[in-house]
Amino acid sequence: MQIKANTHLIEVFRTEAGAVYQCEASNNFILEFADRSTAFKPGNFIDFSKRLFAINLAEMLCSPAKHADLAIIMPPYCETCFLLTITEVISLQRILGGAKTILHLNSILRTSQLQFA
Amino acid sequence: MKDLLRLRTSLSEEIETLLNEQIKVEAYSSSLYLAMSSWCNRNGYDNSAGYLERQSGEEREHMLKLFRYINDLGGKAISPEVTNIPQEFDSFKGIFELALQQEIQVTSNFNRISDRCQKANDYVTLQFLQWFLKEQIEEEYVARRILELFDIIGEEGTGRWQIDKQIPKVSYGDEGGED
Ligand SMILES: [Fe+2]
Ligand SMILES: [Fe+2]
Repeated sequence: MQIKANTHLIEVFRTEAGAVYQCEASNNFILEFADRSTAFKPGNFIDFSKRLFAINLAEMLCSPAKHADLAIIMPPYCETCFLLTITEVISLQRILGGAKTILHLNSILRTSQLQFA
Repeated sequence: MKDLLRLRTSLSEEIETLLNEQIKVEAYSSSLYLAMSSWCNRNGYDNSAGYLERQSGEEREHMLKLFRYINDLGGKAISPEVTNIPQEFDSFKGIFELALQQEIQVTSNFNRISDRCQKANDYVTLQFLQWFLKEQIEEEYVARRILELFDIIGEEGTGRWQIDKQIPKVSYGDEGGED
């Protein structure tokens, strides 16, 4: 994938289904998932993960309605929408959840470095 | 590795969410007091109608204070959707009982947010919230004093008319209440 040629990219978190990078040049997060990569400004990245974690998995599983087994995330800051199956929702949640944990740790590390420097 | 989220705002996601929820609560208070004002107006309690309208304006100011704070710190303040505002009330007294309940709820919200700020080491927001905690002392005091008027003056005869006249005069501070 040509995305890796970018030297400003730091891998934040990866699973077999995809990854989150942060670009130190543009200060964006980049999500690589299902053969597509999407750049998010930090605020939008948080918003996107909120939308993702707001998906009601139980409802998707149980609802008899047509297409209930598909979740749609259509954020105003993305050109295209995310159409996700239950499995995809779960793997995406794992990627973003993991990424957010690493970002949080990085934040703690940086704060303590600043304090003890 | 840069801390991109921190570069955007010093507010953690959790605190930003809590503050946005409180924006909604203040907006609800503002609309609720306005509905109460209208009810008082319809039922001949002119002074209370005026008082509640001013109170509604104050709640909107509280909302904006939170709103500006989130945006000033780089966060995303959300213009709240307010629904389910009651338009009818049981009685003149019932309105002020409900007002006190609402203020008690708001105080407990601010206590809870302050607690979360402390746990998250967000002393900047904790400091910002001091103003609201102090304001709530006044808000609860005034709401209680108004309710007491119903007992002191009594609702019989011209009682309610008298109570309505006294309500705008209730204030927290120097004069010690007598008039
Ligand atoms: Fe308020
Ligand atoms: Fe209030």
